[in-house]
Amino acid sequence: MHIRETREPDAGLVARLKAGDPDAYREAVRRYTPGMLAVARYYTDHSSAEDIVQDCWAKVVTAIQGFEGRSGLSTWLHRIVANRAKNTLRHRQRELTTDFSEALDPDLASRFKPNGRWAVPPRMTTSESAEALLENGALSDCLDKHLSRLPEAQRSALMLYEAHQRHSDEVCNILDVSASNLRVLLHRARQKIFLMVEHFQESGEC
Amino acid sequence: MLMCRDLATIASDYLDGELGATDRLSVKVHLMMCRNCRSFIGNLRNSAALIRAHSSQTPDPDYLRRLDENIAKALAGKDRDDPGE
Repeated sequence: MHIRETREPDAGLVARLKAGDPDAYREAVRRYTPGMLAVARYYTDHSSAEDIVQDCWAKVVTAIQGFEGRSGLSTWLHRIVANRAKNTLRHRQRELTTDFSEALDPDLASRFKPNGRWAVPPRMTTSESAEALLENGALSDCLDKHLSRLPEAQRSALMLYEAHQRHSDEVCNILDVSASNLRVLLHRARQKIFLMVEHFQESGEC
Repeated sequence: MLMCRDLATIASDYLDGELGATDRLSVKVHLMMCRNCRSFIGNLRNSAALIRAHSSQTPDPDYLRRLDENIAKALAGKDRDDPGE
């Protein structure tokens, strides 16, 4: 089990941001933009997400004076992005393609017998670490492709939870989903990646 | 009794430590007896690690530069607007 990020690694960064230090902004942009994009992507497509995050950074320049450190800096930034994205897209219907009643991916569900045992058991036997697997460029490209094809809701939940190591309650808060729906989003996304890697290892194809 | 299909359904909850004590014990007992489910859980854990390792990549450098420029403009504008702050 990995350790979730619980406090900001650099409280001094906030003071430098408040003082308007351009280097502090360069550092913060590189540290926090990936997470902010993941939040925005929950609500919209890639190019609109980039626009939203860009607007938010410009706002942070003045809003940072009101930041009191009650939450972490990244949580605060994520909330700004989520609020901005919600306001921008108020008139648009958000596409939610995950069926929360089904925790099992249909492609995995079909691999069980009626008695609940495996009919088509997992075929992977790898003991390689994730880093070693990723040294295979074709697998890395394939992962890219599949991550970008996930429904936005699954993708953002996955990015915030796995890649940016946010706590469940924070992800729920930012993305406006219940704790049980977040569990389904995460599990569905991991199954998709499991199926992808299994297929890749068997066939060598994406 | 916990079947393989049930275990696959709650596998992420098990990995993330989100199961209650009873369910957790049922999963552990099942895993001791079932090679296929051990393989599934191991691979699902690996999928999560793969996503973590893969997603630590940085966004497009041109986009980051655009953000820097935009912030520089905002900082300059702020200095003009609020010389006292």
